Amino acid sequence: MRVCLVCQNIDCKSRGSEQLMKEFQKRVAARGLTDVEVKPYMCFGACQEGPNIVLYPEKNWYAAVKVEDLDEITDHLAGGPHVQRLDTIDSALKELIYQLLDTGIL
Amino acid sequence: MKEYRARGGYEALARFIKSSPEEIIRQITDAGLRGRGGAGFPTGKKWSFTRAAPEQPRYLILNGGEDEPGSKKDRVLMENLPHLIIEGVILAGYAIGAVKAYLYINANYQAATKNITDALADSKAAGHWGQNILGSNFSLDIELTPAPHNYVAGEDTAALEVIEGKKAWPRQKPPFPVTVGLFGKPTAVNNVETLANVAPILLRGPDGYRKFGTPDSPGTMIFSLNEDVNCPGVYELPFGTPLRYLIEHCGGGIKGGKKIKAIMPAAPSAAYLSPDKLDTPLEPNAMRAAGSGLGCGVVQLVGEGTCIVEEVLRMADFFTAESCGQCPACRMETNTLSMLMKKVQQGQGGQPILEQFGKVLAFNKGKGFCNLIAMPGPPIESALKLFPADFAAHLATGKCPAN
Repeated sequence: MRVCLVCQNIDCKSRGSEQLMKEFQKRVAARGLTDVEVKPYMCFGACQEGPNIVLYPEKNWYAAVKVEDLDEITDHLAGGPHVQRLDTIDSALKELIYQLLDTGIL
Repeated sequence: MKEYRARGGYEALARFIKSSPEEIIRQITDAGLRGRGGAGFPTGKKWSFTRAAPEQPRYLILNGGEDEPGSKKDRVLMENLPHLIIEGVILAGYAIGAVKAYLYINANYQAATKNITDALADSKAAGHWGQNILGSNFSLDIELTPAPHNYVAGEDTAALEVIEGKKAWPRQKPPFPVTVGLFGKPTAVNNVETLANVAPILLRGPDGYRKFGTPDSPGTMIFSLNEDVNCPGVYELPFGTPLRYLIEHCGGGIKGGKKIKAIMPAAPSAAYLSPDKLDTPLEPNAMRAAGSGLGCGVVQLVGEGTCIVEEVLRMADFFTAESCGQCPACRMETNTLSMLMKKVQQGQGGQPILEQFGKVLAFNKGKGFCNLIAMPGPPIESALKLFPADFAAHLATGKCPAN
């Protein structure tokens, strides 16, 4: 199972991350991606660049995601290209969060 | 009140209302009184900052929120010596030039609230507060405000918010309350035990006060011991008394005759000490040198046979529950630490999981409005260092080695 974690800390919620997650779930379902689960995650520590979506276990991180970006991210999940312009998080933070996710706290 | 007066009660007020506020501040400064709420800030300094702030009016807050689990000292003081607290409030109010003092008292403390309320009525009738106190030009109003009993409500800026009628959310500092406090005006927020020291200092003078304690931490401090010792209670001891004396002589030793595995000298947010530190003096600098702190004096023991993983999981969950939720970093940190510790307890994640605690703490260091974000670190990191076998056992078996 692949997961798409959408951060839901207070900053990102105030930027619409709850709605973003619902829209993302609809698109993933519409595309028939049954091996993908879109679910909430407390926080990736990148609130200033939120809302964030982290794809795991493949470890892709999309920042400052808007509803308009979701189709491209869904394409990526279905085997399309990586969405380079949303990949803006610095590698040290990525490494910290990926290591945390590797411990199993999803 | 009769009883309190028979022991010199309100004498300090009668004497010092005729002297200057600056003289009171000078004596408190010379006595070296430090705040007893946990941070240990010099009280005289806090008062002189408040008094020097240009804005008017100024306010005083008695912080009787006392939300640290296991702390009972402020409750005991307010229940048993309400006039001592009130005299301290009036003197502090005079020292900073306050127009009004708010007594912010834990809403669960019914007896303390009643005794303070009754004592306030008596002391007002005696002319100790209100208009023109004891015939002087100084007037001070006093009002009681119930404090919510969640942990952060005891934080000084959260107290300001509650008294202003808002949620108990700490404010970002600076500005500090001494310049921008209650209703945006200069405010001194003092712990109950701190103000309990004021009248005695003024009666005996700084030298009299300095007969107890150490040169850097003069006077006494009240320590709270809980159910983990044979004689739980609050114990007033001079600063510098060995930790062992508090635990063995006052507390009657650890319950059940077990060996002590670890000591937490400022629960719930200090580093654990190993039992070879039992002779450390109860004094902030000495505790820091030993690797921990003194906080507001809640001393807890972990007995042999108790698993430290379960202990720190409980603490991590406490901070997660008590994080007020306004700072994203604090929510991120406390939730992540709780989740990681739960994994460890269940034996998941393997050795690499233990390396994550320090990284999460380092990532969030210095963030957040209040100090809660810095609190889960010392217990967790000291536990990892002192008791690696407990963590290894959990990771290997998913079970507690103690059970």
